[in-house]
Formats: sequence, C-alpha cells, structure tokens
Amino acid sequence: MKFIVSSSYLLKQLQVLGGIINNNNTLPILDNFLFNLDGKSLTVSASDLETTISSKLEVESTEKGMVCIPARLLLETLKTFPEQPLTFTVEDNNTIEISSNHGKYALAYASGEEFPNAVELKDPSSTVVQGDVLATAISKTIFASGNDDLRPVMSGVFFQFSTDNLVFVATDAHKLVKYTRDDISASQTAEFIMPKKPLTLLKSILAGSEEDVTIEYNDSNAKFSFDNTEMICRLIDGKYPNYEAVIPKENPNKLVIDRNQFLNSVRRVSIFSSKTTHQIRLKIAGAELNISAEDIDYSNKAEERLTCDYQGDDMQIGFNSRFLTEMLNNLTSDEVSLEMSLPNRAGILTPVDGLDEGETVTMLVMPVMLNN
Amino acid sequence: MEIFHSFVKMKKSILHLDLDTFFVSVERLLNSELLKKPVLVGGTGSRGVVAACSYETRKYGVRSGMAMKIAKQLCPQAIIIRGNAGTYMKYSNLITDIIRDSVPLFEKTSVDEFYVDLTGMDRFFGNYKFASELRKRIIKESGLPISFGLSQNKIVSKVATGEAKPNNQLKIDYGFEKAFLAPLPIRKIPMIGKASAQTLIHLGIDRVKLIQEMPVEMLTSVMGKNGQIIWNRANGIDNTPVVPYCERKSISNERTFNLDTIDVQKLRDTLTAMADTLCYQLRLGNKMTGCVSVKIRYSDFQTYNKQIRIPYTSADHILVPTVMELFNKLYERRILVRLIGVKFSHLVGGHYQINLFDDNEKTLNLYKSLDHIRNRFGAGSVMKASMLDVRTVISGRNPFDGEPPILLAHRNQ
Repeated sequence: MKFIVSSSYLLKQLQVLGGIINNNNTLPILDNFLFNLDGKSLTVSASDLETTISSKLEVESTEKGMVCIPARLLLETLKTFPEQPLTFTVEDNNTIEISSNHGKYALAYASGEEFPNAVELKDPSSTVVQGDVLATAISKTIFASGNDDLRPVMSGVFFQFSTDNLVFVATDAHKLVKYTRDDISASQTAEFIMPKKPLTLLKSILAGSEEDVTIEYNDSNAKFSFDNTEMICRLIDGKYPNYEAVIPKENPNKLVIDRNQFLNSVRRVSIFSSKTTHQIRLKIAGAELNISAEDIDYSNKAEERLTCDYQGDDMQIGFNSRFLTEMLNNLTSDEVSLEMSLPNRAGILTPVDGLDEGETVTMLVMPVMLNN
Repeated sequence: MEIFHSFVKMKKSILHLDLDTFFVSVERLLNSELLKKPVLVGGTGSRGVVAACSYETRKYGVRSGMAMKIAKQLCPQAIIIRGNAGTYMKYSNLITDIIRDSVPLFEKTSVDEFYVDLTGMDRFFGNYKFASELRKRIIKESGLPISFGLSQNKIVSKVATGEAKPNNQLKIDYGFEKAFLAPLPIRKIPMIGKASAQTLIHLGIDRVKLIQEMPVEMLTSVMGKNGQIIWNRANGIDNTPVVPYCERKSISNERTFNLDTIDVQKLRDTLTAMADTLCYQLRLGNKMTGCVSVKIRYSDFQTYNKQIRIPYTSADHILVPTVMELFNKLYERRILVRLIGVKFSHLVGGHYQINLFDDNEKTLNLYKSLDHIRNRFGAGSVMKASMLDVRTVISGRNPFDGEPPILLAHRNQ
C-alpha cells in the first residue's frame, strides 16, 4: 500500500478528525487514525466508540489497503512540515514509512481490521440544514447543557424536528435555552438528544460554512454528512424533560436594557460576590435597576445602578451571575429584555433585535431563593 | 517610620481570662445557699456528664467531663443541678459586653473564656494594672469570680490562668515563659490529653522541662505532626493571633439517648428533626452546605460516620432525604444505638438555586412561609408532625453570629 498526499491538506483534515480522539482510551486502538485506501480515494477515520468521524481525501495512488496509524505521532510530525508532498509506504515489517523532502520516518502501524466499525443507520429519516445554521443553533444552545452524570439527558442538546420548524433545546435544570428556526422544517417529526462532544466538533467545523449538511437519524444514532466528511454518533438515550411546561406563560414584569451595559455591570459586580456561589441581587424600581453582591466571608461588597426601561411592579430577585453572564455573552443583540413574574419563578431573557428571519431565541434562568 | 519600626519589634501582650467554675458560679449567684457547698452542674439523666464542678468537690476527685454517675459516687453529698444554657448565655454575654467595652481587641473562645490582645498598651496603662482593673470590674459588675493570666502569647497565658485559679491572677514576664512552664506536669499544656500524656509518660516524660530539653525531631518522631506544635508550646512559643470573630466551618447536632434504642422510626424522626433544624439555621445565616455527614454510635461505643458531597444547597427537601439515605447506608448493625448525629460542613454564603424541573412553586412557597413563621414566633412554633416527639433538638439560634458554639450545660455522654 502506497500513496502520495500533500502535507498541509492531510494535516488540515487530520486536525479536524483528531478532535474526537480521547486522551485516555481504554481501547488502545482508538489512539489511531484508520487509513482506508481505495485507488485515488483515501478515507481517514477517528473514533471514541460513541462517535466516529471520517473524511475522504484525494490522493495519488493505485493501490488498496487499510492500516491504523498512531494519531498523536502523526499529527505532531505533520505540524512541523512546510507544504510538500509526502509519500506513505507500508513496509513488510509492520511499519509505515513517510518520506518527505527532508528524510524518512517510520511508524509502527496496527492492522486496519482491528479498528471498530462505524454503526450503520437502519431506516433513517433525514433533514437538510445549512452548515452555518446548524453551527449557530449549536453555539446558541450547547453552553446551557449540564454536566451531571446522574442526569445524562441534560448533558446533551435536544433536537426537535417537525414539519413546521426545527427546535434546539439545552438545559442543566438551572438555565434553559430554546432556539427555534421557523424557516426550516423536516420531512417528518422526530426528537433526539445529541451528546455534547460531537456537537462541539461540528460547531467548529461548520462555523461559517454555506454547505448543506444532511442529518440522518433513527432511534439510536445520528449521522451528519457534509463535504467529504461523515460523522456518526450514538444518541443519548432517555426522555428529555418537559421543558415547555416550565416556561412561565405570564410575565407581567418586563425589563428592557442595553445588553453590553447590563453584561458589564453584572460582570463587575459579580467579582464581589461569593467565589463559590456567584450570587447577585437585582432590585428593580421604576426605571432603575440596582445590581448588588456581597461576600460576607471577605467583607466584599458592590452595588451598581443602571437606568432601564421597566414595566411592572417593583421587585427583588437573586440570580447566579455566572448564568446571566453566559447568557448575555451568548447573545449578540444590542438590547435584551428580561421578563419576570415572581422572585421564585424563572426569568426569561430574549434578544430585542438582531435576529434573522425565522429565528427565535428564548433563554430561561432560574433565580435563587432570597430569604427576605 | 520609626514608630512602625518599634511596633514590629514590640513584644506582644496577650491576656487570657477564664471564669472560675462558670456554671457553678452562676448558680451560686442565683442561689446563695449553694455557697461553700459542693455543687455539680451537668446532665442529670443516667448518662449525664459533669459540665462544671465547684472546688469543694474537686478534692474528692471530681473533674468536669466526668460521668455524673461516677461523680455522685465520689462525692455523694454534692448538690446536683441540671444546668440552664439560657441563663449562662445571659451572664456570658454580660461579661462579653464589659470586655468589649474596655479593650481594643478580644476573642471569645467559649462561654467562659476570652483572649484579649493588649499589645502596645503597656506604656500608657500598664498591662498588669489594666488587666487587674478589668478583672476587678468584671467581678464587681457581674458578681462572678474570674481569673487571668498575662504573658506574651495565648498558650502561656492560658497555662498561667490555670495556675492562678481559683479567683486569682498571674503575670509571666517576658523571657520567663520557659522557666514558668518547666516545672509543670505535661498535662498542663493545652493539646496534651489523656492519650498523648500516656505516650509521653511511657517515655519517662512527666515534666514540661524534659520536653523543652528534647530535640524537636525526637518529639515529632513519637507524636507525628503534632510533635512540633507540642514542642513549641512546651517552649512557650505560640504566634496564633487573637481573632475577634469565630467563623463556623460546620454546624452539627447530635443526641445521646438516655436509653439505647433500636426503634428505627425514632432514630429517623430524630434525624429528620435535627436535619430540619440545621437547614433552618443554614437559611437563617444565609449559608449553604456542600457536605452532609451522619454519625452513629452503637451501644458498644463503636462509632461510624458517613458523609457525602452534594451541590451547595440549603433546602429541606434535598438535605433531609440525603441524611436519610446516609442513615440507611450507615445503619446496618442490628444492635442498640446510643447516639446519632448530623453535621453540615463545607459551608458557603448564598441562597438556594431553584431547579427548573424538580422544584415547584407550591413547596417553595410552603418552605418560605414556614421560615417566616419560625422567624416570627420561634424555631419550635411550627414543625413536622413526626418531629413532635423530639423537640429537644430544635434550636432557632443563628449559629453564624460570630459567637463560639454553645456548650450545653446538661450534656450526655
């Protein structure tokens, strides 16, 4: 087996695929890339058992063959090369030799048969979404998903496809984001929960891409195909919590404020809050928003006043400042609105401007119980 | 600059004040018939412990911390009083107020013990004179006997107070700390308890002088890490500052039954009541806990602990079930239980973060109203029906007020 490929072209592809490889694998074979050569087409795959991602590359070759090459070693070597053609030759003594303009390098390889096979999707349904749209949907929601091993369903993003729209939801039980696209629809209704890791990878690959992504899915797996790349991943099994039920319907108290100003104030004030709980207090009266925090252990205290546009009763509500900053940071609008009803009910944060047509973002943040 | 320089070089001056047989003295103040008679204050139940004993009983071998039963045998003529923590607190606060009024910096380490930092006051007031006047003022205004020790650090002052007692005072001059400690028995050094004293006596060490003459390494090889501290203390070296605020690192509640029990329902109810009270105390102090532990002591004195880390919370409906879960895991020997207890540690300031899916407004409002009632009418004014039988563990005191933890006068063993 022998092929010739451009070093930077290969590196670019491998760096994308390498994102899926775990640092500590229980199965040593997963530390490798699978190279599957078939004439002029080379398919490289990487896997962590849950997710398998593969890319097709064009190379110069006439041969066939399948080998596993140690990923880290290969990536480190490729990074150091300036652009040049590289020749990969599989030798008889179980090594693969790379020849460059500078010299020769030999790596031990494993047989391609040992690499776990990717899952085949049986009777999949499918939807086509533009790459950039999918990347936006992921980046708008993924930060809100949880890390709790005891509640695996919340550690992913919920994809809810229907013939009217596409909905993406993420929550960790304290905050929730619902991202809706009314301008895109699926051929049939479907719901599944995508794990975080493949989504993070997709987000970085697809950002800014105009290419269409085909999403195929069944009960247990989903497959994303675009360009020359395919990603198949196992879905999170379980029932997603009924998030619609927890979004308060009537919110008479509505605050509209400049997003940047609000974000900066919350950031500044939260420096003075408790280092473990990050709790801040919002007091709203008339057209004034008062943000305060206190860390009793160190006698730190901060208070800021902002003018805002407020309709509703005077109220006091406590929030974890982390959640607020994450959410405000994720939005891009100039102004945001925060709708509230009672100090122990969720606040709903939505952008006032800057949305594309058909796009809706709803963010929910649960307050903390203030004692007085 | 020069002033600052001389300040750095200035020797510290720490005063230790300790009320003599505090609980007994308070009882005598309230009832003069007890004067000059042997008096014991402590738990009166079958498992009571002596919390304080008058000097008259000491010659019979009675010590505080002893089981009341044994004390009774040693000194049958003693008058036994079941203490009242509330009264003692009142007098303790009275004395705290006098001290707060007269000194710049003090630390209250328990109901009857204070450290005062008098550093830098010598040239204006004369520390010994100042301390004597303070002592006289306390005796005059409260009517309670008090002793003090004055030296350059906390440890030496504390030992000096112990030597000065009863109702007296002692000053250890700069440079004489070692000489003062040398002839004392090793037990006089705080930290050397029964066990460490035994270890040292086996080595033939009975006087502080011998420790002073030992190399530190020798002591650390015998006592481990504590060896260094003990050696420092024996040599009169101690740099711990006087801290005016007592910060609670954990809050706990435990109970020894008068009779060992195997009634699991009763155990559960007691634990629920304790957890419930502690949760209320957390909320009272605007705190949350990140670690819950449960303790069981069986009738054979085998003691078991189990703890679990949880996300920070102060909510009843999370903490009470967590305590129950720990108890279910811990309680596996089917034998009588002597003591059970609950402890919340890893405390941080903050409020309960409401959960989108697990919490509903109804329960949250219920808890809020319950707290409201307790704040207004007292901690025992509203409780779960299952807690009715175990009222005694309920306390509405905010444990985060900077005061040292209360020592119950009627303790059980």
